[in-house]
Amino acid sequence: MIPATFEYHSPRSLREAIDLLSAKEDVKILAGGQSLVPLMKLRLAKPKHLIDLGRIPGLNTIKEQGESILIGALTTYAELESSELLRRRCPLLPQTASTIGDVQVRSRGTIGGSLAHADPAGDLPAAVLALGAEIKAVGPRGERWIRTEDFFFGLLMTALGPDEILTDIKVPVLERARTAYLKAAQRTSGFAVVGVAACLKLDPAGGCEEIALGITGVTDKTYRPDDVETRLRGKKLETKLIEEAASGVCRNVDVLDDINGSKEYRTHLARVYTFRAIEAALRA
Amino acid sequence: MKQAVRVIVNGRLYEEEVEPRLLLPYFLRENVGLTGTHVGCVIGECGACTILLDGKLVKSCLLFAAQADGKSILTVEGLGQNGSLHPVQEAFIEHYGLQCGYCTPGMVLAAYYLLSKNPDPSEAEIRLGLAGNLCMCTGYVQIVEAVKAAANRMRQA
Amino acid sequence: MAETKYVGKTIRGKEAPRHVSGRGNFVDDIVLRGMLHAVILRSPHAHARIAKVDAEAALNHPGVLSVVTPADVQSMTRPFKPGRYAAGLTKPIFEYATAVDKVRYVGEPVAAVAARDRGSAEDALELISVDYEPLPAVVDTRDAMSPTSPPLFEELGANLAWRGFLTYGNIEAAFAEADQIVRERLKIHRYSSTPLEPFACIASFDASTQKLTVWVNAQVPEVIYDALREALGLEDVRVIIPDIGGSFGQKIHLIRKYVVITSLLALKSRRPVKWIEDRSEHMMAAGHACAQEFDVEAAVKRDGTVLGLRFKEIDDVGGSVSTLTIHFTNKLNNLTNTYKVQNISMEGYSVVTNKCPVVPNRGIGKPGMCFIWERIMDRIAEALSLSPIEVRQVNLVPPDQFPYTTPNGNVYDSGDYPALLQQALKSIGYEKFREEQRREREKGRLLGIGVVVGVEPGGRNAARDLAIFPEMKETPGSGGVNGATIKLEKNGTVALFLGSPNSGQSHETTSAQVAADILGISTEKISTSTPFDSDLAPWGVAAANSGNNFHLYDIGAVHGAATRLKEKILKLAAHVLDAAPAELTIENGTVHAPGSPLKKVTFAELGKIAYGNQALMPKGFEAGLQTTFYYTFPHADTNLVPGSDRKVRAQFTFSAAAHAVIVEVDRHTGKVHVLRYLIVSDNGVVINPRVVEGQAYGSAAHGISVALGEGFIYNSDGQLLTITLTDYGKSSTLETPRIEIEHHPVPSPFTALGQKAAGEGAAIPSPAAIASAVEDALRPLGVKVRELPLTPEAVWRLIKNAQGGNSKFEIRNSK
Repeated sequence: MIPATFEYHSPRSLREAIDLLSAKEDVKILAGGQSLVPLMKLRLAKPKHLIDLGRIPGLNTIKEQGESILIGALTTYAELESSELLRRRCPLLPQTASTIGDVQVRSRGTIGGSLAHADPAGDLPAAVLALGAEIKAVGPRGERWIRTEDFFFGLLMTALGPDEILTDIKVPVLERARTAYLKAAQRTSGFAVVGVAACLKLDPAGGCEEIALGITGVTDKTYRPDDVETRLRGKKLETKLIEEAASGVCRNVDVLDDINGSKEYRTHLARVYTFRAIEAALRA
Repeated sequence: MKQAVRVIVNGRLYEEEVEPRLLLPYFLRENVGLTGTHVGCVIGECGACTILLDGKLVKSCLLFAAQADGKSILTVEGLGQNGSLHPVQEAFIEHYGLQCGYCTPGMVLAAYYLLSKNPDPSEAEIRLGLAGNLCMCTGYVQIVEAVKAAANRMRQA
Repeated sequence: MAETKYVGKTIRGKEAPRHVSGRGNFVDDIVLRGMLHAVILRSPHAHARIAKVDAEAALNHPGVLSVVTPADVQSMTRPFKPGRYAAGLTKPIFEYATAVDKVRYVGEPVAAVAARDRGSAEDALELISVDYEPLPAVVDTRDAMSPTSPPLFEELGANLAWRGFLTYGNIEAAFAEADQIVRERLKIHRYSSTPLEPFACIASFDASTQKLTVWVNAQVPEVIYDALREALGLEDVRVIIPDIGGSFGQKIHLIRKYVVITSLLALKSRRPVKWIEDRSEHMMAAGHACAQEFDVEAAVKRDGTVLGLRFKEIDDVGGSVSTLTIHFTNKLNNLTNTYKVQNISMEGYSVVTNKCPVVPNRGIGKPGMCFIWERIMDRIAEALSLSPIEVRQVNLVPPDQFPYTTPNGNVYDSGDYPALLQQALKSIGYEKFREEQRREREKGRLLGIGVVVGVEPGGRNAARDLAIFPEMKETPGSGGVNGATIKLEKNGTVALFLGSPNSGQSHETTSAQVAADILGISTEKISTSTPFDSDLAPWGVAAANSGNNFHLYDIGAVHGAATRLKEKILKLAAHVLDAAPAELTIENGTVHAPGSPLKKVTFAELGKIAYGNQALMPKGFEAGLQTTFYYTFPHADTNLVPGSDRKVRAQFTFSAAAHAVIVEVDRHTGKVHVLRYLIVSDNGVVINPRVVEGQAYGSAAHGISVALGEGFIYNSDGQLLTITLTDYGKSSTLETPRIEIEHHPVPSPFTALGQKAAGEGAAIPSPAAIASAVEDALRPLGVKVRELPLTPEAVWRLIKNAQGGNSKFEIRNSK
């Protein structure tokens, strides 16, 4: 219940945070704490140093920048949910954020924390992947932008270096896009047993001009089901076609088997929710 | 190395030096002496520790006391005014929105927060607003009724 | 019944104001000066020998003042003797508060540390080194039944630790006479009511008086009291029980181990010690409801009449023999459910496995018995092409037969089962639903309805187990006893002392309502004391906080004490007013004599006399205005102690309910949506409607959640995979349906007010109701529901397998 002893640092600037991250051994970054603190309380994580980003100003802004929207890493799920700008210009994010956890979790959980933690059932990783977002990492040697398709490596593993802090997420302003996020939620927590983010664009004739899906909860990281997207891109999205395409959502994927779903059931659920998410996006 | 914490709890300032690993509910219970905030789980899944931190509804057990430095907290003990109960508290009593009382402080604050954002919630919205607070006794039925009644009373006031 | 001012009304609760203000008084809210904090080291193995425990490093860790190891436990304590719950044990097996030579379940307590703060204690815990020699884990029930499975208890030899058989009536004749035999195999899983507040205790030993005081959130003070005296050899033990954050049967039995461990730390350190369990510990080791497998056979006539029922049951009792047979013996309480069957036999097997021991969680075996009945009724309906309603109606005990004696000796005090069923059918709109179901099936929607009935027995009879274990060496007592004390204070207010602790059932409120009506005083002038204090409270063997016992023993005791006090009040008032007691009336705390409005005396005035003015008391009057009454059930004579016929009043009062539930199944995900859940409930005379309804809602919600997915899962190594509420699958507001309740009280002729139990209640029939509804929804697909839980995956598999294993992915609706 009580974490192992650690030293607590509360830097007032990003620079200070980065310096601390480089200087200390056995460090963890504290953002919203909804994932890290439980691990520390179970003593599954025993960092000797905790760097709390919570007092660094300016890390939770949401602003339009040309054809993108720049979102600060410490933007909470609640802030994503209620952002007028995002609702108008990139609704997939508020749609997804509103399904996460509960009111309390949404008050504290952050988009940066969610992406950096890379829980294989995380909702926002699926959404940002479907959006083709970019992630900014800042370290002692400067900053870089990482594409989401290059960001998620595996179970709780990302492209972030040990001395880097995730500071921003850049998402495209969606023109004429139809989006939806649906999941089979685990009771109690609302975690995704299977979650599907769908982002579609239809051409004037009603055919599928663009489609991007983010799948979470199925394997050790979020992924885009190329198979499904390829079968639908450029076609008219009839029910039968969507159904056929959705059946390939787990092709070449090592599907998880755990108490929330066997491999067989999870595969089936993934198909069902892929179908449903696409249909929901179409109706959006 | 101990951390200095200056925090306002229910309108009163507290200044303490605490171990970094001191979790916020224990700070409230032991340092501040308010035992209404309860601990029912380890990983922040039950909501019994719910408080308001700078006006936001949060699970205090996922926060270290050090993180509350410079902030303002409302616990269930801070809801009533001068010995009289808040309409939400009154409604919980009147409608038997509790049995053992262990989830009640968190539940009452969640209801209070919900009504401050949404003064006329539907049953579905009430259930969504309280989804982070588990109750093992009531089956939630009378809790939902209490919140509805509180909403009515507060709208009429 | 006379019009009452308080009984029957929902008055403002007495407990609620402190809880909504955050001023409840739970064990962890209590602080003693110099108090240490304890944590417990638990086994990571499901089955292993303990070779060596080295706690030296822990003891030397800064802040640590005391450590307890298995060696300490063996040398400083005596083991618990097998008690009532272990009736049936063929060889005495003694269990200590911790594991000593062996661990038998993940989470079993092995050692403990007490330190100045909890963090240091947890740090020190990591320094205790234990050498385990792992043994193969016995996890599966079938494996445990096999004589070659590695024995958990060498003394027993096998893991099949008990078998027994009981029969009533003439079961062979029933089966010979039957038109048809209907069979079914059923399974229910391990679950728990998971009270939100885990175990908690503080132990403080006063060396100068050799008195041990413990504060603990235990339900049954006697268990703690006896455990401490037995284990520690102490004569003077005081058990204080403040507010409890939910119990549901979880805080009766295994909690005693932890009180002993904490007390040992207190004795060794010579300081008060507090131990607060955390959630993962509670999930692993506080106790589970038993997983049960049933083999059921019903002998039926063509019209649906059940001539005889026989069942075989295998109970997986986990890694302890101390609760070996409770889930079996408790079936005597509702053995025939609401039915008039005369011939019934039960065969039980208890196996020990390397899992958490079972405890008397809400219902204890009765949900299983109701599951047997209500599933077989549906099966019978199918086999005979009758409606499930018809089959039940044909078998219900008719209302004119009460008090009704069941073949196993229960005397059902009152009931009108056909009326409950009728009202449920009406309120749920049964016929209309059937039409809607037909229509919607054409569109591919899977709607279903389940209607079940169940009795809720109440009021413990301590002699019940003798029906199954007539050879019990230590007689467990008989009937039940509990007391209440009422005192009229000299300021005219009333203080009420209950003989039981409470954990949310509004005992303070309801007992005040009963006393207020009798005494003629407002409930606001009555205060009921919590905490329970064993030094002061008038408690007996039935002191247990459960709706099951409270409604009978505590309410009976309050009724008795208040009645006696009223007599005393009138006697004194008659003397003061120079009138006859029979002429006097009481109104609002003032006693009036006829003749003149001036002829009155207030309770306060009477108090002043009774506590201080001897000259004004009548001759021979015992001073003071305080009475204590210990209640036993006055109609217990028949079958109180079983004779050679094994018939016994397992319990004394019988509430009942009909449950009707409408569900929709999403065929693609297997998810079950509960569209409506209705209960028509007979709890006898209801003292406080909102309290009774709250119990029904809460117990129904839990039963529904159990049926639809919450539960414990172990892997084949005996590791518990569900140690968080999330993994376990507890229902939040989003997974819990709205529940409706209607009252249909049929007063008991035997109880003080006509009241019957309200507590375990809806937890008993609700799993069966859900199973019935889901099967009904999936009937067109040929699905049979035999097992719980009905998780989405389980339902999906039922559908898939019924369709011949066709796993072709097809969204568009098939009929």
